[in-house]
Amino acid sequence: MSVLPFPSFLDDVKEKGVKKAVFELVDESVERLTAGMNIQDIREALRGEAASRKPNPRLQPHADGFWLHMRPSYFHADMTGLYPTFRLGWLSTYFVFFETITGMLLMIWYTPSPLVAYQNMVDIVTRVPMGQLVRDLHRLGAEAMVLIVALHMVRTFFTGSYKKPRQFTWFTGLILLLITGFLSFSGYLLPWDQLALWAVTIGASMIEATPPAVVGENLNLLVRGGPDIGANGLLRFYLLHVLLLPALLFVFTGVHYYKVIIHGHSLPPRKENIGEDTAKRVPLDKRVYFIPDILTSEMMWVAVTTLILVVLCIWFYDAPLEHHADPQITPLGTTAPWYFLWLQGALKLGDKVFWGLIFPGILLGILAVWPYLDLTPSRRYADRRIVITLFLILISFTTYLSYMGLAEFGVNTSADAEILFEMTFPPAHNHMGKILPVPYSQLVPGMYTTAQIAAEEHGEDIGAALDAFNQDVDTRVVAETGTGELTTTEAIVAAELTVDHLSTSSLNFAPIPADAPELHHAMELFYQKFLTEKASNELLNPWGGVVITQHQEGLKRIDVIVSWDEVVIENGFPVLDENGEPIPVLDANGNPIRRSNITHLFIHEDGGYFSL
Amino acid sequence: MLIPNIENRITLGIVAFVTTMVLLGWAAINEGGRMVALEDTFHARAIEQGASLFAANCTRCHGEDGRGRENFGPALNSPYFFGHDFFPEITDQITRLTTEQVALTAERIRPSVAADRATEIDARLAEIETRINELNAERNPQLQAAIDKGYNPQSPIRLNSVGWGGTLHAYVYTTLEHGRPASISYWPNGPMVAWSQTAGGPLRSDQLVDIADYILNWDKGDNWTLEDLFAVRQFPKVPCDPSNPLSCGIAPAGEPPVGSDVNAALTAIAALTGDAARGDQLYHGQVRSGTDNALPCAACHQAEVNGVGPMTAGTWTRAESLHDGDPALAGYTPEFYLVEAILLPGNYVVPNFSNAMQAGLGDLMTPQDLADIVAYLKTQTQ
Repeated sequence: MSVLPFPSFLDDVKEKGVKKAVFELVDESVERLTAGMNIQDIREALRGEAASRKPNPRLQPHADGFWLHMRPSYFHADMTGLYPTFRLGWLSTYFVFFETITGMLLMIWYTPSPLVAYQNMVDIVTRVPMGQLVRDLHRLGAEAMVLIVALHMVRTFFTGSYKKPRQFTWFTGLILLLITGFLSFSGYLLPWDQLALWAVTIGASMIEATPPAVVGENLNLLVRGGPDIGANGLLRFYLLHVLLLPALLFVFTGVHYYKVIIHGHSLPPRKENIGEDTAKRVPLDKRVYFIPDILTSEMMWVAVTTLILVVLCIWFYDAPLEHHADPQITPLGTTAPWYFLWLQGALKLGDKVFWGLIFPGILLGILAVWPYLDLTPSRRYADRRIVITLFLILISFTTYLSYMGLAEFGVNTSADAEILFEMTFPPAHNHMGKILPVPYSQLVPGMYTTAQIAAEEHGEDIGAALDAFNQDVDTRVVAETGTGELTTTEAIVAAELTVDHLSTSSLNFAPIPADAPELHHAMELFYQKFLTEKASNELLNPWGGVVITQHQEGLKRIDVIVSWDEVVIENGFPVLDENGEPIPVLDANGNPIRRSNITHLFIHEDGGYFSL
Repeated sequence: MLIPNIENRITLGIVAFVTTMVLLGWAAINEGGRMVALEDTFHARAIEQGASLFAANCTRCHGEDGRGRENFGPALNSPYFFGHDFFPEITDQITRLTTEQVALTAERIRPSVAADRATEIDARLAEIETRINELNAERNPQLQAAIDKGYNPQSPIRLNSVGWGGTLHAYVYTTLEHGRPASISYWPNGPMVAWSQTAGGPLRSDQLVDIADYILNWDKGDNWTLEDLFAVRQFPKVPCDPSNPLSCGIAPAGEPPVGSDVNAALTAIAALTGDAARGDQLYHGQVRSGTDNALPCAACHQAEVNGVGPMTAGTWTRAESLHDGDPALAGYTPEFYLVEAILLPGNYVVPNFSNAMQAGLGDLMTPQDLADIVAYLKTQTQ
């Protein structure tokens, strides 16, 4: 006999034999772990059979277990289809856990310090097995989560599910949307690359606009940890990202879920009246039990969504990692993350305080209290035409603002600087300068010009055209220097082009080699940049040049030249004559004044731009 | 429900799960190659970044092509910088001959050396000198264009010249990080400044790594050619001691120094009268020597005994007794012992001390300075 007050396992073995005793032990353990379902119960549930014992063991985990106490034990059959929920709520929850798990894996390799953060990222993608995949999953999951949560809110609005009694559920959902946005945004800074630094700088600058100035300045200091984002700012964003915001997210997720239990799921608009809920009044024939139907459905969604994410990240998506953050180099065309583009667009409309703070504040405020304002008694679409129209207008407006937030819209840079940038900019937002994707082997050392492309367009002989072009660049007097000396384009360009690294000190443009079609294509794109309305108004008689030199073993230097005749410019815009043509600026001798702008970049044969 | 049949839901879920696991396994199998390729890509990007930074910050002194600029900065794109010796056998032979030469010269100078051994040594020294000249004659004309610009064919490896024990990458990084504050004494157009933000410069540490990666990309390994060596516009200078102009290749301002020949020095000071008071001041660095140097004697030899050098007090007592008749000093006179200890400190090391005394002090003092110091030391009895 056992010394215990109840029979021990050994007593069971003696009494029932090993096989039966072990089975009973396992069965009992399973029942404890599932808070009520033994192996037979699980088997029956997964087979789609009815429960064979009473009381129904499938309700037990909802009553006694921790995890399922947050889920209703049965759903209304009318909301288990794809419509009306599109499973967006469950997917949002899925992403909370997906992001937490992938995020914790990334935390192992990450230190929030500007000294090492970027190198950590490089190590994650180059030295940690599966590191790039986990990072891609985390990043893609974050973008997807913002999208899914936002769509969840849009769906809830369209079906009127925010109405009584679910007003507060809507409110917590809005908070969750905000937290999701800020979580994604705070994660943006952590790689400490150019994309991170500048996207976050733009976002944080809105905080600075908070009136009065003393509040804005101090809020800004509080978030950035200094006048600019540095070591303190990175640490603060990190702590927001991994501690504060996730903690808030879990708290509000709990509240949100509890409200679903209290009020039940909302049904399609025509099947439920205002003030009713499905929590306790689901007819017996309409009940779909969580175990097994909803549970298997949700697990299926989890498995399929994970598969989709893994497929996307293995073959189609790599999280961007640009150059190391550099507070001194502002890339042209910096934008906020796409889900904050509407704010960046709004800022271009005018006053920073109004469009950056008051406008989004009013918008979010209205959304937050909307269920308490909209007291119309019907959830049916037909009865809510005005509200739905207003909401569609709001979505259109936000989309339009997002479009205005794009770098292309409304930023005025000189045409030559813009063209040089578009030819040479480093990979950013999955785009890069037109020269970079040219395969290394096709970057044949030599000097090439868009004049060749112009000759091809006009069907001229390329050799003769280039001879004439070289002659013109070399000899035609284009301006007089201050000292009375006459000068040519050649002299201007050669003086700006640091010619030490060139074996020859004079410009001599040659035809693009026939076996370099990608280089030819890049030169065509270069040429087309001069044809835009902006470029043709600002740059008179322009040409572009590309000078390729072998700089080191496996490293080529590419100088990119834009040369043009100066035109009259007032307030940043060219002055046009009555024919709509730009007006050239002439020197004392009546010669046009030639200008040039030159930049250079280096391309290594292993740089891998053309394989991106 | 999107899929009404529970079996189909379970099947789809399991298929998706298994497919995910297979895909993850497939990705894991390919990770090794992917990581290597991506690491190459990031290294390439670092080189590109380094090239831009070098073009913006370094070319003024080191040249667009890294081959240096005369009197501004040394070549980095050079076989010397990467330690490529075009005549390794000759360098090796001369090094071994020189080592033997130094040892024999030290032995030859001792009063205790026997007459027939002295004759043997003289013959061997003559032989070594001839052989060294032969080897130099075989090698140096082939390197003449570089030697004319300051290349030392017997010291063809930069890291050895400066006594750097780490990697070249670390050497470049450290130089970028801290600069070379003392190099102002041998570069007429200014020193190598510190570039790192930690040392007050403009660049971040990751940028310094990029520049170092770029500089090391000039390495041609075994493919360096003499043309590369001759294309160098300016060779690096070996760091020197600004207080000793000779070590910087600048002729000293004062009188000619006494040198390192002990017997000649003894003869020279025998004709002079030593001034013990001035010797005291010289010894303690309070006046400058005839060659315009401050002597560092008292840095190690102090009033009390310490771990670095024997104490000053009692020097003459110990010299007179020849360290209680140490057999290694057989045949020495006390004066010979003192002068040898100053001019060739490694020849005899006092028991319980290490061979830490600075060599070449004879280049920092005139015969009169030596006479004064000897006179001063003779007052140090105990």
